Amino acid sequence: MKDEHIIDILDDTVFSGLSIEQLDIIRSHSRECSDCMSAYQAAKLSSVILAERVQTVVEPTPFFQTRVMAALREQQSVESVPAWLRLWKSAGALVSSMAVATVALAVLSFAVPANSPEPLATAATAESVIFDQGNEELSYEQVLSTIYADEDEGK
Amino acid sequence: MEEAAQEVFLKAFTQLGSYEGRGSMEGWLTRIATNTCLNMIRSAKRRPELTVSDLTEDENKWLDDQLSDVASEPQHSVEQTLIAADLADRVLAVLPPEDQMALLMIDGEDASVKEVAEATGWSESKVKVRAFRARKKLRETMEKLLSHKGKIGRPVSNEG
Repeated sequence: MKDEHIIDILDDTVFSGLSIEQLDIIRSHSRECSDCMSAYQAAKLSSVILAERVQTVVEPTPFFQTRVMAALREQQSVESVPAWLRLWKSAGALVSSMAVATVALAVLSFAVPANSPEPLATAATAESVIFDQGNEELSYEQVLSTIYADEDEGK
Repeated sequence: MEEAAQEVFLKAFTQLGSYEGRGSMEGWLTRIATNTCLNMIRSAKRRPELTVSDLTEDENKWLDDQLSDVASEPQHSVEQTLIAADLADRVLAVLPPEDQMALLMIDGEDASVKEVAEATGWSESKVKVRAFRARKKLRETMEKLLSHKGKIGRPVSNEG
């Protein structure tokens, strides 16, 4: 065993749980092996700082209990409010602004076009305009002569 | 730490309805405390490495004192304990949160593998692996720190 490195024993076992036999093996080997001596010292110090770490007793500050009770009350009061109301409180402004925007868009889409029929009139064909005018002012012959006169000029 | 304690009390109170009485109340509370602490460790920033230059003057002196008298019993003055505890926190911060938890419970508080498995909900083999890995990493970190200080390992022969 003297010829075997003892690092695995140190990593496998809790330092404070090493048996007397294991400690004897570790010590006798470490005297002749600098690497294992370093590992042994480091493992021992690691064990010491861990032991000191868990020994540290932290006393609560004077008003710890009051703070915990206050936090509990706050949590309970939050839980007593219905979920939809909590949502409304947190996102009320966003939801109401979205609702206003939706209403405005609906008004623009349905109400405004109904009040402005002019675009339909502008879409009327030239022929219908001519015929409409013909009903009021021009006879059929006058219309034909107007059209053929234009064609003749074009030629 | 007080923040963690408060969080545990709040969780225990709010989740009291979910306690079915199948296990012990102590075990149920331990599990809540363990999970809360684990989450808090996870949220803390992990250090990539710890070097001698990161140590405070007190921590350097504490290490020197320990090494100069490594065979004797460690000193237990409140001040020394606090310095060692701070050093432990800094060295442990190098490890992943789960490894820190396993090491503190097993090597620090002498908890058994089974107890840690129950508190964390991990399998026993996972606890063993985490503890082994954490112990090795902690030892290596300490070894590196001490070697930089030039106060470790008195070689008699280089062959083992």
